[in-house]
Amino acid sequence: MDFAFLLNTMGKLLTALPTTLGLFFLSMLFGGLLSLVIVAMRVSPIPALRWFARAYVLVFRGSPLLIQLFLIYYGLGQFDAVRESLFWIVLREPYACAVLALALCTAGYTAEIVRGGMLAVPHGQIEAGLATGMSRWMLLRRVIAPIALRHCLPAYSTELVLLVKSTALASLVTVWDVTGVAQQIIQRTYRTMEVFVCAAAIYLLLNFLLVRAAAMLERHLSPHLRKRPQTTSTPEPLASTLG
Amino acid sequence: MTTTPAPITLTTSGIHKSFGAHHVLKGISLDARKGDVISILGASGSGKSTYLRCINLLETPDEGNMSLNGEQLIMRRRRDGRIEAADRTQVERMRAQLAMVFQSFNLWSHMTVLQNLIEGPMRVQKRVRAECVEEAEALLQRVGLFERRDYYPAHLSGGQQQRVAIARALAMRPQVMLFDEPTSALDPELVGEVLKVMRSLAEEGRTMLVVTHEMGFARNVSNRVVFMHQGVIEVQGTPAEVFGAYATERFRQFTAGHHERAAV
Repeated sequence: MDFAFLLNTMGKLLTALPTTLGLFFLSMLFGGLLSLVIVAMRVSPIPALRWFARAYVLVFRGSPLLIQLFLIYYGLGQFDAVRESLFWIVLREPYACAVLALALCTAGYTAEIVRGGMLAVPHGQIEAGLATGMSRWMLLRRVIAPIALRHCLPAYSTELVLLVKSTALASLVTVWDVTGVAQQIIQRTYRTMEVFVCAAAIYLLLNFLLVRAAAMLERHLSPHLRKRPQTTSTPEPLASTLG
Repeated sequence: MTTTPAPITLTTSGIHKSFGAHHVLKGISLDARKGDVISILGASGSGKSTYLRCINLLETPDEGNMSLNGEQLIMRRRRDGRIEAADRTQVERMRAQLAMVFQSFNLWSHMTVLQNLIEGPMRVQKRVRAECVEEAEALLQRVGLFERRDYYPAHLSGGQQQRVAIARALAMRPQVMLFDEPTSALDPELVGEVLKVMRSLAEEGRTMLVVTHEMGFARNVSNRVVFMHQGVIEVQGTPAEVFGAYATERFRQFTAGHHERAAV
């Protein structure tokens, strides 16, 4: 095995890591914020807003991300009005288009995850908040959000893993992320196997760290689901009683 | 011996409530004087829990008036003819004075016992943390759960959870306490510890409305008993009256189905 080549390739791919991480963190941030807006619309008392949120989720979950990305990067530039508008500053940049497409798409998925988490909040605990005299905002902040967050986390970490992998699509609109640089190297060396294995290893490592971080956060946020504190005498474990 | 009646704390009048075509409450009027312990009895479906939930507006009544310590709850009529509370901040202020204890405890699962107790006083009543903690710990001593103050609700038995829920209600320094079948979700051997706490509250003169199936509590602890049937108050009075001379045939049938607990 040509370790020198692998090492050299890894070095080159890692120079593109900041681009990949940037795509991920920016689309996570904007997508996350947008998803909260979508959820607020989805549970709003105004039918038009609810309808819009449903349509949004349907469109962005139901169509391929790659096509969404192509529509934003290649499609919108077709219109003079877009090219002459203020938005062109953003839409002419492949990186910005990739972030926009990833954020719009992940927002649709995240909105449904958040909504599911909110539906899982036991109604009795909401009523207890109301009966204590909490305002709706306080109830959301102190009771609904913390409980919903814990319910959301496993599904949301899966969504983030998918998002990390989706950033690879940005290479198709000329963003030089890890995948883009990998293809560049392959075009020069024709050593597809080694280069893509290196690239895949980078994504694998990123996702491993992500899943670990999510698990740690989940553990930190769920002390009430862990074993009870050992401050008082607990009954003998069943096994030793039977043994 | 003549005593002047205690001032009226809570007034409800003409409370009506329907769920769809089902007319659950057909004009309930009931006053609670300071220190009253009113047991509300009735078969399942008689409307007793719905009535209790109308008092703190967890259910919005279709008709009726409510006032607490002389403050009238301001209602307005919606376009569809039903009424709703006009002033959200007034509702929140009144709810804070009407602590509720639920059948299924409803402790906040992500907070420790102590956090459950200080949440309302600190966030809703904006009291100082140190003072809230001190008062909460005293209340936990009282319900016998001081050692469990850092436990999460999931780590407590049903009876312990309900005692925490009562302490949480007390931490709000309420004018009136509403109990919605507080022992119905408990294993029989855990009912006694909760009833004991409730009895001690009654003895110190707290104003309590208790929806319950505990005949012993109704007869021996409360000073007034209300028997509801199909959305109306069928009979009310002192326990001696309701269980004695006033008892209707329906009330006798109802009590025949309930065994009294020796503990209370």
